Amino acid sequence: MAEYSIDELVISCMARELHGELLVSSVTAFGSLAAHLARSTHAPDLAVLSTPESGMDAVPLPTLTLGQFLTENQRAIPLTMNDIFDAIFTDRFRIWINPAQIDEQGNVNISAIGPWDRPKVALVGSRGIPEDTSHLSQGLYYLTQHSPRAVVARVDFISGAGYNPERAKTLGAHGAPTCLVTNLGVFGWNPDTGRMVVRSLHPGVTPDQVRQATGFPIEIPAGVARTAPPSAEEIAIIHAADPLEVRKLELLSGKEAAEKFAVVYEQERQALHAAWPRRRH
Amino acid sequence: MNKVMSTDEVVAQIPNGALVAIGGSSLSRKPMALVRALARSDRRDLRVIVNVGGPEVDLLLGTGKIAELIFAFVGFEVMGLAPHFRRARQEGSVKFQEWTEYTVMAGLDAAIKRVPFLPTHSTLATDVLKVNTAFRTFQDPFGGETLVAVPALRPDVALLHVNLADPQGNGVVLGDGHMDALCAKAARKTFLSAEQILLPERLQTYGRDVHIFRTMVTGVVEAPWGAHLTGCAPEYRADLQHVQEYLTAARDEAAWREYLERYVYVTHEQYVRALGGEHALGERLRV
Repeated sequence: MAEYSIDELVISCMARELHGELLVSSVTAFGSLAAHLARSTHAPDLAVLSTPESGMDAVPLPTLTLGQFLTENQRAIPLTMNDIFDAIFTDRFRIWINPAQIDEQGNVNISAIGPWDRPKVALVGSRGIPEDTSHLSQGLYYLTQHSPRAVVARVDFISGAGYNPERAKTLGAHGAPTCLVTNLGVFGWNPDTGRMVVRSLHPGVTPDQVRQATGFPIEIPAGVARTAPPSAEEIAIIHAADPLEVRKLELLSGKEAAEKFAVVYEQERQALHAAWPRRRH
Repeated sequence: MNKVMSTDEVVAQIPNGALVAIGGSSLSRKPMALVRALARSDRRDLRVIVNVGGPEVDLLLGTGKIAELIFAFVGFEVMGLAPHFRRARQEGSVKFQEWTEYTVMAGLDAAIKRVPFLPTHSTLATDVLKVNTAFRTFQDPFGGETLVAVPALRPDVALLHVNLADPQGNGVVLGDGHMDALCAKAARKTFLSAEQILLPERLQTYGRDVHIFRTMVTGVVEAPWGAHLTGCAPEYRADLQHVQEYLTAARDEAAWREYLERYVYVTHEQYVRALGGEHALGERLRV
């Protein structure tokens, strides 16, 4: 068996959820690499969107730092915000979201810890998540740190709708959560009960580890499946696509990640300048 | 008509309490030269609309200009949370309305179409619908399902940064257009800053890259590096080194005052010089 690290395992699990000829957002390094890995293996027709300059099918692969290299060095089909939201409303879009909190019903929070109007910690705001959780037939989430602070009984604020009582009244299945990949396992939701279920535990992870890291009682059946580790081919694809290891930054604390990100951002520019001569100036 | 003006002449046309929509998204093509001019002015009680907000919101909050903010997001992406936004949210010193990316667009679009609202499924079954008192639910008159009514957002002023403009106010956007054209169409007055102002006959050669039309534009400012510290594709990237400098300063009162003296209470030309000048910026940020 090939050696792999936790980021590679999580990314390969994320890639396995992507299929067909859909537009896949790549706002994070994990999301971007999952889309690239899926397209390079079982889902060759995926259309990968780079952000924030919104280019589809960028060649060569966009760099992972904010997509801000989509210049003449990198050709891509330009999309507008309208194109992207139309893809969401017509269920032709997928996105892996990395929430601050996710709960048993699959509600997610990126707005505030504590009460919304006087938060203990103000986060960033719901962004486009309410659009995703009212329209997409796959609701895809990942966490690099499965802990009782992140996987909670009930989120402090519902930025994205899980199987909460309001969903049953107004949305039905549109936009419901379908998959959560963490550093401990792969989880899903039972649409009948609206509760999180375990799909598989990662190699070496015990049921007790998952119970202790989860903020609500979670049932783990005796014969629970084991996550298939990434193949040597999958690992090689991830390594080739992310030689500067931007993905590792998602495993660090915020401040540490920001500092390293700024360094990688500059390394990336120098690498691109060496590979392609500057077009002008 | 020649609409070329200075950043201060733009600010002079923005009254206290104005509803101001700011273009760009995240760390991309924010009209920072115009925002800095607003931040160093004596304007107050502004009501600001952003979609994916970041340094523009944080600076205007950090200089006390904003009374109310309509936003889908405010942050510095992987670089961290926005310090003044975070403080203002936690202290409750400013009125906040949490919208979403699409609903901000829909609100502007409703204003353009002269309808009171546009319907959407977005925000159903979320707490956005609970805390955002601007939204209402209603029954679809045809099928009876529950929908959200997103009210029209009609800005008094839109501030945008474009790659190129002509003196009449046509604007070329070479990277992602974000929601800039919606802001320009919905606002009563739109002001552009541009990396460069070209003669109209040269601007016309950009064809479909002309996204902002002079019929919507009141004033144009030439401001090379006018989106800095955000990026302006395909010319230059966001300046993450400066983002770090900003974030460090914004977390400390004395450092913040020094930052304002050095980078905000100065003209745009002085700002570029304080950053080491155009050549040094180009070496670091051109792609």
